[in-house]
Formats: sequence, structure tokens, C-alpha cells
Amino acid sequence: MSVASEPQESPSGSTGARPGAVGFLTDVSLCIGCKACEVACKQWNQLPADGSVAGSGLTGFSYDNTGDLGATTWRHVAFVEQAPAPTGDLLAGLLGSAPTQMAWLMLSDVCKHCVNAPCLDACPTGAIIRTRFDTVVIQDDVCNGCGYCVPACPFGVPQLGEGDRGAHKCTLCYDRLVDGMEPACAKACPTDSIQFGPISELMPRAVERVTELQNRGVEQAHIYGDRAWGGTGGINGLNAFFVLTAPPETYNLPASPQRPSDQVLPAFLTTAAAALGLGLAAVAALRGR
Amino acid sequence: MNTFARRWEPDRRGRRAAATGALAAQRGRTSADEARGSYYGVPVIHRAHWHWLIILYFFLGGITGACYVIASIAHLVGPSEDRRLVRAGRYLSFVALVPSPALLILDLGRPGRFYKMLRVVKLRSPMSVGTWGLTVFGGFSALSALVQAAEDGILGRGLRARAVGRWPSKIIGIAGMPWGLFVAGYTGVLLGATAVPLWAKNALLLGPLFLASAFSTAASAIGLALSAAQGTEPATLERLERLERLTIGAELGLLAASRARLSATAAPVTTGTPGALLRYGTVGSGLLVPLGLHAVARLTSEKTGRRLGMLSSVLVLVGGFLLRYVTVVGGHASADDPRATFDYARQEQSGTPA
Ligand code: SF4
Ligand code: SF4
Repeated sequence: MSVASEPQESPSGSTGARPGAVGFLTDVSLCIGCKACEVACKQWNQLPADGSVAGSGLTGFSYDNTGDLGATTWRHVAFVEQAPAPTGDLLAGLLGSAPTQMAWLMLSDVCKHCVNAPCLDACPTGAIIRTRFDTVVIQDDVCNGCGYCVPACPFGVPQLGEGDRGAHKCTLCYDRLVDGMEPACAKACPTDSIQFGPISELMPRAVERVTELQNRGVEQAHIYGDRAWGGTGGINGLNAFFVLTAPPETYNLPASPQRPSDQVLPAFLTTAAAALGLGLAAVAALRGR
Repeated sequence: MNTFARRWEPDRRGRRAAATGALAAQRGRTSADEARGSYYGVPVIHRAHWHWLIILYFFLGGITGACYVIASIAHLVGPSEDRRLVRAGRYLSFVALVPSPALLILDLGRPGRFYKMLRVVKLRSPMSVGTWGLTVFGGFSALSALVQAAEDGILGRGLRARAVGRWPSKIIGIAGMPWGLFVAGYTGVLLGATAVPLWAKNALLLGPLFLASAFSTAASAIGLALSAAQGTEPATLERLERLERLTIGAELGLLAASRARLSATAAPVTTGTPGALLRYGTVGSGLLVPLGLHAVARLTSEKTGRRLGMLSSVLVLVGGFLLRYVTVVGGHASADDPRATFDYARQEQSGTPA
């Protein structure tokens, strides 16, 4: 497993977000892992608890409760414990001058509300729509549970519900947005690790934050969700983007996912070429002598 | 509820238990180790829920489409004694078609809402265009079977039946052929247009592979029906077997190309049970053995030859089914593997096929 540790480009902060788009800036360097966002999301959206194993409420991975995003988990706080790299310097170890403390990385993951959303491309019923806020929402009364959006999302966000067999994911609190309220998770976050607002305001803030972090010596700080990381390929940016302080893989985020539907036309063309070839083979084989 | 709560656990345990090759090195790793290259081995993407219903549909969809195409082509270019082949192709196409919509609808989480598929046409969604393609093709397949039945006198000798029997079946066949090809091949494109590494990385070849397999299984199904029915001209069967050989060759080539394209991403379909099924079930007994049987059959008496031909047809059909099974099940394993997902996302960006 080779994980490149350096961001490929300096954070340009550019995305293809449409004018008037709103979204989340989730800054891992401010997250304290309190899970207020998870709870607020479940409360507002009336989602059942999950991850409750033998009453402990923990997964066994650090302090993670839910493991990943799913039909009933639309915010997921990931806990990454990083042991200091062994220096191999015995003396430094004995004298206590080698770093011994675990590093804690916490990230509140969420649907990215992609600028060109693969789930929306895939949905054959038109249940998944782009709202006037440039967010991506599944209309539950249209979804027929075909499940195609599930493997189409390169971030593993939507999932079919256990009970109602429809696909579910974060709505970016569409119902709150129409009433002029910010999403429940952003409202609840005590450290402003989750910030809500227009992308045009959030993105410069993220660029500024990354610069500040880098100046403070957090060299790996970068934006995930602009055209350098995460929102590349045909996806063209994430309306819910992140400030990360480690390579995306550390947080279970793919570095540069592609938009799957960009493959549809080329794949149909190769299939058509094969159809032509096989059809000619059939003509050759079945022709009367 | 507990299985839902810890949905990743079986996969983690499964991966630890699989003590083969590089995986063996993972045994005894602590969760801190696991967290190094990925997030505790938790899958990055969600796997599709597809299973038997969809695998069976992929198989039958190939047969219904390709049977129709083979029948139409035989009708156009084949000698008149091949009318039996045309007839068998049309009936088989219809027989394979009938369960297809039912399989697709039963697979939906909310089957009662299947009609929601028909409220939009989305060219970027292979599932959307596939639904429409299957709907249109279903009309052609049913129509051709109807005309055939009228010609055969199955619908009786009434005026109306005779009128239907005079409909231009050749023209219907030509018009339906593109739709048959579409139905036989689009399922590969559908898998390719996802984030699942095993499918997405091979997106350009999955459609052609499924199409080639559709042709070989359809030719085998028709051959089986014709051999079972007495009185088929040996020349007709010989032409079908020629088609079988050509399409088997194409399938072998496409499988080899896919293997090369996928390299390490192919692990879920080269190792373990799926690997064995693909190697021995599809490639071995489903493609290579039938080729050998065709060669042997030439050296034997006609009766034995026909038996061997039937055996090879059955093997091709089983191999074609296993190809669908392995592709789907392998995709699930691929989706569950965070490293495969990470590698795919990195490679596509740098543009270097590994
Ligand atoms: S992250 Fe996944 S579910 Fe969210 S908009 Fe993008 S593709 Fe859709
Ligand atoms: S499961 Fe529902 S939302 Fe997802 S692609 Fe199918 S119809 Fe659309």
C-alpha cells in the first residue's frame, strides 16, 4: 500500500461549483471528536441509532461508533490513532526525547454533494435531484430501491435502508435550508469544524486556513474536494469539502475518484464495435454455401 | 440489527482468515497496523446488493438478445434449410425474455415502484437506457415469436393467425437486431459505470466480454435445442458450431485482455472460489473443453458427434453463467477492499495503467 504523502499541487481552491451553491467546509484540524454532529443529524432527520454493539455503542475501532456512512448514518466521525513512527534511536527512546504521544485525527465525514454527482448520474428513476442550493437530494417517494446509486458513489455514501429498501443519504438538511436555517450538524458543531455557507465564502476561508496550518508546520494540510484532490476527474469539485492534515486515504477517502458515468459513452462504443465484429462473425458462420 | 451494525466485520474477518499469498502477511496485524494504509480496513465504497436475481438476468438477457440476433442473421443470409435454426432462435429469445423483467423487478428494493424507471430517460445511466432498451427489445422479441408461431400454425388456422403469419418477419428481424445486441451487451457497461474497481477499471472490455459470451451461450442454447429435436440437418448444426467457435475465440481473447488490463485489481476473480470457478468453470470447461470437443466430434460417427456437440453446448452455457456469477461476486469483494479502491483512484488520476 503506497500512499503518497505529499499533496500534488498547492491548494488552488478551485471547483466547478455553480453560482449560489452552498455546502460544508469540514476542517479536521478543529474536530474534537465529540460527535455532536452525528447526534444532531440523527435527531433532526429522525434516524435510528446504529452501531450499538452489546450496549457499548463502539465499533472497536478507536472511539468510532458507526464505522462508515450508511442509510441511517449521514454524518460519521472517523477516529484515526496514529502512533509515532519508530525512530529506531534507542538512546532517544530511553531518554524520552523521541515522540511518544499518539496523534489523533478526527474527521466528520458526510455526503460530498458533488458538483457532478455520480449517484445522480446513475439513478434511473430521477429520484436523485440537484436542488436550487446546488445540493444533491434523494426524493424518497420516487426511489424504487434499484440500488444503482450505491456502487456508483465513489465515496461510499448512499445505501439501501434495511427496513424500507430505499436509498438514503445526507440531504444537507434541505428542509432546514428552505426555511433559512443552517444544517443541524453545522449548527451543533461546537468548534466550527463543520462550517456551512456559500461555497464562494467557504473556499477562500479554506485556502486561508490551509496556508495558516502549513505556516504552523502542518505540511500535509490541504483541501480535499477542489480540483487537486478528491473533486477531480469529471466530478469537478465537492460542495462538501474538507481541510485534511494527512493523505485522504488515512480518512478512508479516495485520492482522486473518477466520475463513473464518464465511462458510459466509451464503453458503449467499444461494445458497439464488438457487436459489429460478432455480427460479422455470425454472418460468416451462418452463410449458406 | 447486530449484523447491520457491524456490517464490515465479516469482511475483515474473512480477509484475515484468507491465508493466501499476500493476505497471509496481514494475519496478526493490530488495528493500528490496519489503520495505516486504510481506515481499519473498512470498505471505502459500498458494494451493490445484486445477487442471484441479477446474475440470472445477466445470463438470460445475453441469451435473449443474442438468440434474436442469430435468428435474424440466419434468416437473412442462411440457406432455406436453416429455417429450423431461425425458428428455434426466435422462440428461445422469447423464452429467455419472459422472466427477465420479473427478475429485475423482484430485485428492486421497492418492486411496486418499478414503473418509476419509465418516467425519465437518462443517457448517462446505463440502468435507465437499459430499461428502455429492454422494453423496446421485448416488443421485437415477442413480435417475432408471434409471427413465427403464426407461421408454424401454433396460433391455429384462423384468418387472423394467417394474416399475422404474413407479416414481414425479415424486416422485423432487421429492426430488432440492434436492440438485441444492446440488451446482450449493456449489462457489462452498467457494471463498468460504477466505482467498483474490478468493474470500473475494465469498463471498456466488460460490454464486449458480456456480448461475446451472450453469442456463445445463445449459439449453444440454439444448438442444444436443435440437436435434441430430431431431424436437424448436420450442415445446420455445423454452421452453428462454427459460430460457437468464433465467439468462444473472441471471448477467450477478451478474457485475456481483461486480465492484462486489471493486473492486481483482478485478485478477487483470480483467487479463491471465484478464481477457481472462472479458471476451471468458464475458461476451462466452458470454453477450452468445448473447442476440444468440437475437434473430437469431427473424428467420430455422426451420432456420437451430435452427443459431443450437446455436451459442449451445456458446458458453454454453464461457463457463461459462471462468468456472470464470478463477475458480480468478484465485484463485491473488490468493492470491499479499500486498497483496491485507493489504487484505482490513484492510478486513474496519474493515467498509468498498472
Ligand atoms: S458523495 Fe456520493 S452520494 Fe454524495 S453527491 Fe457525491 S456521488 Fe452522490
Ligand atoms: S436506489 Fe433509488 S435513488 Fe438510488 S439509483 Fe435507484 S432509484 Fe435512484
